[in-house]
Amino acid sequence: MAYILIVDDDEDLAQAFAKVLKDARHEVAIEGETARALERMNRKAPDLVILDVMFPENSSAGFELARDMRKGHGKLGDIPILMLTAVNSKFPTGFSARDIDADWLPVTDFVEKPVDLDVLVNKVSALLQRVASAGDRSKNAK
Amino acid sequence: MASVSSTPRTSYELPLSPGDALPASNMPHARASLPEPLLLQNVVWFCRVRWIVVALLALFGLMGLFPQIERALGLREHLHWPFVTSAVLALANLGFLAHARWLAKSGSPSGARVNLWTQIVVDLAALTVVVHYVGSLETYIAFAYLFHIVLACIFFSRLESFGVAAMACAFYLACVGLEVAGVLPRAGLYADPSLRGQIERTPGVVLLSAGSALVVWLVVWYFASHLATMVRERDSQLDATNRRLVEAQREKSRHMLLTAHELKAPFAAIHANVHLLLHGHCGTLPTDATDALNRIAGRCRRLAAQIQEMLQLANIETPDERNSRWADLDLTEAVRWSLAEVQPLAEEREVVVEHDLRSARTSGVEDHVKMLLLNLLSNAVIYSNRGGRVHVRCLSGAGNGPIVTIEDHGIGIPPEKLPRIFEEYYRTAEAVRHNRESTGLGLAIVRRVAETHGIQIRVESEAGVGTKFILGFSSAEGSA
Repeated sequence: MAYILIVDDDEDLAQAFAKVLKDARHEVAIEGETARALERMNRKAPDLVILDVMFPENSSAGFELARDMRKGHGKLGDIPILMLTAVNSKFPTGFSARDIDADWLPVTDFVEKPVDLDVLVNKVSALLQRVASAGDRSKNAK
Repeated sequence: MASVSSTPRTSYELPLSPGDALPASNMPHARASLPEPLLLQNVVWFCRVRWIVVALLALFGLMGLFPQIERALGLREHLHWPFVTSAVLALANLGFLAHARWLAKSGSPSGARVNLWTQIVVDLAALTVVVHYVGSLETYIAFAYLFHIVLACIFFSRLESFGVAAMACAFYLACVGLEVAGVLPRAGLYADPSLRGQIERTPGVVLLSAGSALVVWLVVWYFASHLATMVRERDSQLDATNRRLVEAQREKSRHMLLTAHELKAPFAAIHANVHLLLHGHCGTLPTDATDALNRIAGRCRRLAAQIQEMLQLANIETPDERNSRWADLDLTEAVRWSLAEVQPLAEEREVVVEHDLRSARTSGVEDHVKMLLLNLLSNAVIYSNRGGRVHVRCLSGAGNGPIVTIEDHGIGIPPEKLPRIFEEYYRTAEAVRHNRESTGLGLAIVRRVAETHGIQIRVESEAGVGTKFILGFSSAEGSA
């Protein structure tokens, strides 16, 4: 079981995500604003963040939160981020998983809206598995 | 009594966009003269033209070595002034060119103007020497000053060009004045003394000859500088309009991104909640309810796809977007990428996609070319029958640019409907029967990409047998 934070201003979508993730036996919290999400993460760091790109007051607030997590806040630096985007990830205005760059856009993976909930659950499981494996490797190395 | 609020009242006034509110005539003022980079280009051009003058003077000097030619032409033997003037101009020209090269490297902001002014002063001085020796009043050589006056009107502000005109007048008047005063010896090229000697420098002759020349120069300056100013104003207006168009294109792109989010996000929420119901997260549903939810999910999917295609279609037409991303690209790699993208769909529909890919390159916007290929390839798979085959070939195309063919053995297109398949939202009845999810925009996107990239498309089809798209790409710009 993992603690997952969903940061999305679309409550209908976030609630649906929360439902399937809870059914997959995860603990889930929802935040509709990036600033409050950062505060919440500093109080209790999640195992994974599902993050939207565009928010009502700032169309790139999701990117900014991802960068803040990686650069300015040490304990949040290693949390995997699954970014949600409503903009097509293939072409012509968007970006794709191939564009993931630790400096420019420090997220771990993308999912494109509308999201197939089975795909979401699988991606979340895969990311958590990857983090767990990396943790085991570092323990063994010590 | 009501208590006074502790929060001060704030106000905000909506600023009007100056680009929208002002007519073109009120847009930024015209530049007084040409910008520095353009002036620098003209510094070099002036120097090239000056080499012609240097050569002509040297040739004229050489002619002086053959007195019989001069006598035959009725010209007086001239001394060495053409050689001296030519040499001085050549040396000055080398200096101007060296300075121009230094300016191009250093990027000095005002150097081009200084260089041009120095050129003008040297030219006018050299021209005055030529005018004196050729004949300041007896010939029309003095009108050569007009070249500099007119060019100054084009390159400089009105005030500066007037400065050049005044300088030309001053040089010419000084020449004539010194001749009249006897400081400069009587010169002139005509051999016949009646032509040369008859013109006495009386006040009347000087006033009429020199004065009329000066009046002509000043009138020419007035008209040329007026027209040049008008052209520059027009140029500035066009420049401002162009900047507003570029800004509008950027705003359009931003708006499209926001639209994508605002329109797709609600569908994403509906889709996710329908998924919850359909997959039993909220308990078991009766069959009728499941059917209804499946229909809702299908419409959501189609609408989301349609919004995406509308945005793609609009985005292809954005010149700013296109120009900034135009590059040489590996066409084979783009085809390979499209094949990988379409593979899940092919597997779902049990269609086998065969390919024969040779190395080929073209020029264009990579995303747009991929969009074209993926649309055609998806169509080939979707309109194939279950268990069918799609053949994709990419050939380098021996000198005429790469050729890509995408051939299916599916439902085909009736011949009378072929000319309409690239229209927006047009779908044949056969296509709708075969695939209800079609948006009718896929081939419209293909057409727009083909138009912007100059891709020749030929379609061969037979109803019930299959369709073949033959795409003729242009060669990469860098290749022979």
